[in-house]
Amino acid sequence: MSTLQQRRPTAPTTGSPNEKILQTNIGSSDTTPLVASNVIRTLLLFTAAMVICPIGSYFVTVNTIFRGNSTFAGGFAALVANVVLIGYVVVAWKDDVEDGSTKSNVGTGVRGPAEGKKEK
Amino acid sequence: MASILADVDSQLSPKFAPFFGMAGIAFAMIFGCLGAAYGTAKSGIGIAGVGTYRPDLIMKSLIPVVMSGIIAVYALVIAVLIAGDMAPPPETYSLFTGFMHLAAGLSVGLSGLAAGYAIGIVGDMGVRCYMQQSRIFVGMVLILIFGEVLGLYGLIVGLILNSKSQA
Repeated sequence: MSTLQQRRPTAPTTGSPNEKILQTNIGSSDTTPLVASNVIRTLLLFTAAMVICPIGSYFVTVNTIFRGNSTFAGGFAALVANVVLIGYVVVAWKDDVEDGSTKSNVGTGVRGPAEGKKEK
Repeated sequence: MASILADVDSQLSPKFAPFFGMAGIAFAMIFGCLGAAYGTAKSGIGIAGVGTYRPDLIMKSLIPVVMSGIIAVYALVIAVLIAGDMAPPPETYSLFTGFMHLAAGLSVGLSGLAAGYAIGIVGDMGVRCYMQQSRIFVGMVLILIFGEVLGLYGLIVGLILNSKSQA
């Protein structure tokens, strides 16, 4: 915000420094590198698992393992959904434990986004 | 004699019987997704509030959203089960089966609504308090599991009802 106000008087006279400041502004406010790629991958994995696994396991097992007994296949689908949930809780819990160990080293202060980027 | 038998048959499986089974499918999906939507939206408000200050906690705060998704999966499972038991008119469909499917759909849908409501409120306040006190995480997840189990109970009853209608 301060850089925006600074560049405003120089804007009518010169064009190229203005563009340069604008470029750095865009670079600093870009949030894509702040979110680690492994977090994105984990979230996409669990989203796909939650969409595909329960209903897919129903249709796969209803005629093969359970031989047309759709009640067991439905219960199995609910079980698979809970397995995905437990997997997510475990992954989040491991993330929490790692954060707790690093937090004890750093201190009790609020961690900024740059710190999180460094860790990941 | 044949006409009496046909009369009894039409009394046991009248033409309007599939209406109740289809109502069960619709109620399961509608109420279950209402609960899942409320749980996702309410806990999403809390996650947005937490993520403003502590972006590193978003991953752990997403647990209520995943649990709300499971409520919708329960509704989807029972809807698929009921729809698999129904068939076009030449197949007889008794009124008993129709009411049974209605009861299965309503039990899953309304218990899913209750579970989603609980998950939404607990998720909203849970992630906000987790931002200030990290030890509350275990308690939050436990309360969320107990809230989500309400929907699982509804699904169990729905599955039992559905298996009764098949026999």
